[in-house]
Amino acid sequence: MPEQTIKSRPVYSPLQLDPGGRRHLLVADGEGVAERGLAPGTAAADFDERWTIVSHSRAIPSPDEGVSEHGFRSLPHLLAALRRRLGDERMGFRLYAVGAEPFLWTINALAGELGLGGAEIHLCAVGPQARRVFCNHCRTITEGVTTNVVTCAGCNASLFVRDHFSKRLNAFAGVQVDAESPGEIPDIEELYA
Amino acid sequence: MIRSEPLAIRVGAIESLSPTLRRVWLESADSGLLPASQPGAHISLTLRGEHGRHHNSYSIVSACDDRAAYQVIVRRTAQSRGGSRFIHEALKVGDVLQASTPNSQFPLQPRARKHVLIGGGVGITPLLSFVRELRGRDAHVEFHQFAQDAEIPVFERLLEPFGGHGLHVHPGREAFDLGALLDVQPLGTHLYCCGPPTLMETAQATAVALGWPSTTLHSESFAPAGGEPFVVRLGRSGGEVAVGEHESMLEALENAGLPVASLCRGGACGECLTVVLDGIPDHRDHVLSDAEKAEGRLVMPCVSRAKTPCLTLDL
Repeated sequence: MPEQTIKSRPVYSPLQLDPGGRRHLLVADGEGVAERGLAPGTAAADFDERWTIVSHSRAIPSPDEGVSEHGFRSLPHLLAALRRRLGDERMGFRLYAVGAEPFLWTINALAGELGLGGAEIHLCAVGPQARRVFCNHCRTITEGVTTNVVTCAGCNASLFVRDHFSKRLNAFAGVQVDAESPGEIPDIEELYA
Repeated sequence: MIRSEPLAIRVGAIESLSPTLRRVWLESADSGLLPASQPGAHISLTLRGEHGRHHNSYSIVSACDDRAAYQVIVRRTAQSRGGSRFIHEALKVGDVLQASTPNSQFPLQPRARKHVLIGGGVGITPLLSFVRELRGRDAHVEFHQFAQDAEIPVFERLLEPFGGHGLHVHPGREAFDLGALLDVQPLGTHLYCCGPPTLMETAQATAVALGWPSTTLHSESFAPAGGEPFVVRLGRSGGEVAVGEHESMLEALENAGLPVASLCRGGACGECLTVVLDGIPDHRDHVLSDAEKAEGRLVMPCVSRAKTPCLTLDL
């Protein structure tokens, strides 16, 4: 079995307000999620604004100035608003994201595209551990993988799910599990529930 | 680091920009092409001064792909150790000097969405190459240059080829609101500063107070090398080298025949890193962390000096 101590595996710590920043926006991928990613002594209300995906068709962010709590009906809904917001933001801003790992890196990619550097965005993974797996052979991404070995949704290869994480692809690397010894497939285990 | 032989360069032209500023064109002594440079790069010239030889670094202000000649702009300073005075008083067209190949410790940031440049006086020099490059890329750039009244036309003329939009020359910085400038910059802005230490410190401190992360703040200084004389004791070979008030520790070591590897000679690159065995260094570099400086085990002899009368190095 390949070695599973890999530096590219992101390490997350609970969030607290970055004292260097002047404006702080916290985004979360579900109701009640944000609180689970905060360090002791830090409250959601410490952040100037909280944006949450509430998965409800009536969710509309308030147009009023001074409202600090906004709900969004879906991830694309939140991303569209965040893209607009970051385009208008100035230096001194800090972005925080709490949620499942694929959500965090989707937010991170958008933030990077709009100029935020690594010191201006803070991420904390909570919730489902299911992995997006990138097939190193056919480049298909298989979503929601919870096992150590998975069949690639693109080329049907049996992929070993490595701990090697690509921030750019927002996915874990998957490699042909029996490449060295054809036919030798390890027991399938549920590891990332 | 790939090392290269020093270049033999010939002075092709000299232009007096102001009573204390000279622009010098440096061509290859064999009339061939010079190595290409990059924005923010400098060359180190070996110059004769009153107190021996000096290696002075000057930013290249000509276009990076102009391989026929490097242009540098040199300020004659009152406390010159001899290098800049030599350029202003003795250097003639046709003279041949030794120079390093271009080296850059002050790169443009590829991910920046906007570049804010702040220059003070002759600190304009590396920023001129930035403006040239950024204009060529049609990048978002804003340049604020501070100058004494008498030199405003000089700097305006240097910036003229790059168009007026976003480029400003200000008479002194007392009346200028740095906070207002840095408060309204869009996400993804990087700040580059070159000038007197007080200007760079003020700009950095203002930016940090407004929430700019340190990764977006860039500065370059060519720190003065002079100070109280002291003695370097050589821990391995047992000798002693006196460092005079007008020379750097690095120059004193070189003149004593100890070839300490160096690149920027301005405390920016870390190439001349040397282990301290005894004595307390007076750190003036931008490489060592505060913790490393406090520990006092390492020193950059190109700019740093000694707080104790004697410094023992692992040489």
